[in-house]
Amino acid sequence: MDYLALMEKGFWAGFAALGFAILFNVPQRTLMIIWLMGAIGGLVKFFLLGWEVNIALASLAGASAIGIMSVYAAHNKQSPPLVFSIPSVIPMVPGAFAYRMMLGFMTLASTPTNTPAYMNTMAETAGNGLKAMFILVALSGGVAIPMLITRKDTFKRIKPHIDQE
Amino acid sequence: MMDKAYQNIKEAEEMLLNVGTLLMSCGASTGRVRTTVNRIADALGYNIELLITNRSLMLKVIDEQSDHFIASLKRTSPHGVNFRVVSGISRMSWKVVEENWTVPQINAEIERLIALPHYPRLIILSSVSLAGSAFCALFGGKGVELVVAFVATFFGLFVRQEALKKQFNPYLAIFFASFAASILSGLSVRLGIGSSPELAFATSVLFLVPGVPLINSFTDMIDGNILNGIVRGVHGLIIAFAIALGLLCAKFIFNI
Repeated sequence: MDYLALMEKGFWAGFAALGFAILFNVPQRTLMIIWLMGAIGGLVKFFLLGWEVNIALASLAGASAIGIMSVYAAHNKQSPPLVFSIPSVIPMVPGAFAYRMMLGFMTLASTPTNTPAYMNTMAETAGNGLKAMFILVALSGGVAIPMLITRKDTFKRIKPHIDQE
Repeated sequence: MMDKAYQNIKEAEEMLLNVGTLLMSCGASTGRVRTTVNRIADALGYNIELLITNRSLMLKVIDEQSDHFIASLKRTSPHGVNFRVVSGISRMSWKVVEENWTVPQINAEIERLIALPHYPRLIILSSVSLAGSAFCALFGGKGVELVVAFVATFFGLFVRQEALKKQFNPYLAIFFASFAASILSGLSVRLGIGSSPELAFATSVLFLVPGVPLINSFTDMIDGNILNGIVRGVHGLIIAFAIALGLLCAKFIFNI
């Protein structure tokens, strides 16, 4: 695998996360962490993609990594976890698939039905749409589930629990 | 004596409604609104019942000692996402518990949080544009395409901010922004700038992605707040549709 290219992707994913963090007006003390979390999430996703893992599963892994980190970051920086997790997962949104799906719909509208071309476009569009949908569910699930698992108690008291174990 | 007790509950209720609606409009999930309002009410010694919907909040405050209760309703103002306020209120709710804050103290803190500045406009514009070129790089763009994505995102976000300032319908503002960004990046496709200009075209609208509504929608749904989850999901879908509409218009104009 080309590790340099992988690092570069992680680097850019961090900046995409940072842009959204500033758009959502997060507190200044969280900016560095959000860049780092976006970069790590991107690295996990692209590393798994390099091993030819399904893109929805790779996104789920990246988003879960971000979800778990967000719980610890929330404890350390005293902000709710969603402040960290939402900007960080946004670089992984399936923009390209959603775009190709929309493109497919447009082509379908102007192609005569029941021709082989129509069937081909239909299959591609459905494939892209399903991928976009599954990635979205994987992203929001990956972020939400670590938060819900740890919310039996509050984040503030998470440290003592770990110390006891 | 009775008036005094009534006055106290009344003040507490106004403050709690304020906290709840502020959290809701700044992008917190339903579960978080409920937890935070409950935590503050507990610390002040009131029992409460809450009904949370996307556009309004209903609250009933019961004072256990005097047996008084008040129920009232407040509309959620559509502010736009602001995580600084969400984070500030969350920190405040802990101080209320630990340092026994009073209602006037809490009100003062809320005032302070609302008045906190946003990032300077130029910084918002340029960092979001940097995120636009980062998206382009993630999808495999190089060199000139990154610059195109940067400029298109900058212009698109500028148009959106202006449209929101002029108080257009928020979905319409997103359509304008998507159209503006894709007109610029579509021009680069038409002129054939760079090796794969379609990448810049596809990624120049990604800054409009409804990330907060969609993720909160899922969080709400698996948290059991299914109705709120559906409302947020539909909100996200309309935004996605507005983005697509802007892209399509640009596509038709340039016949790409």
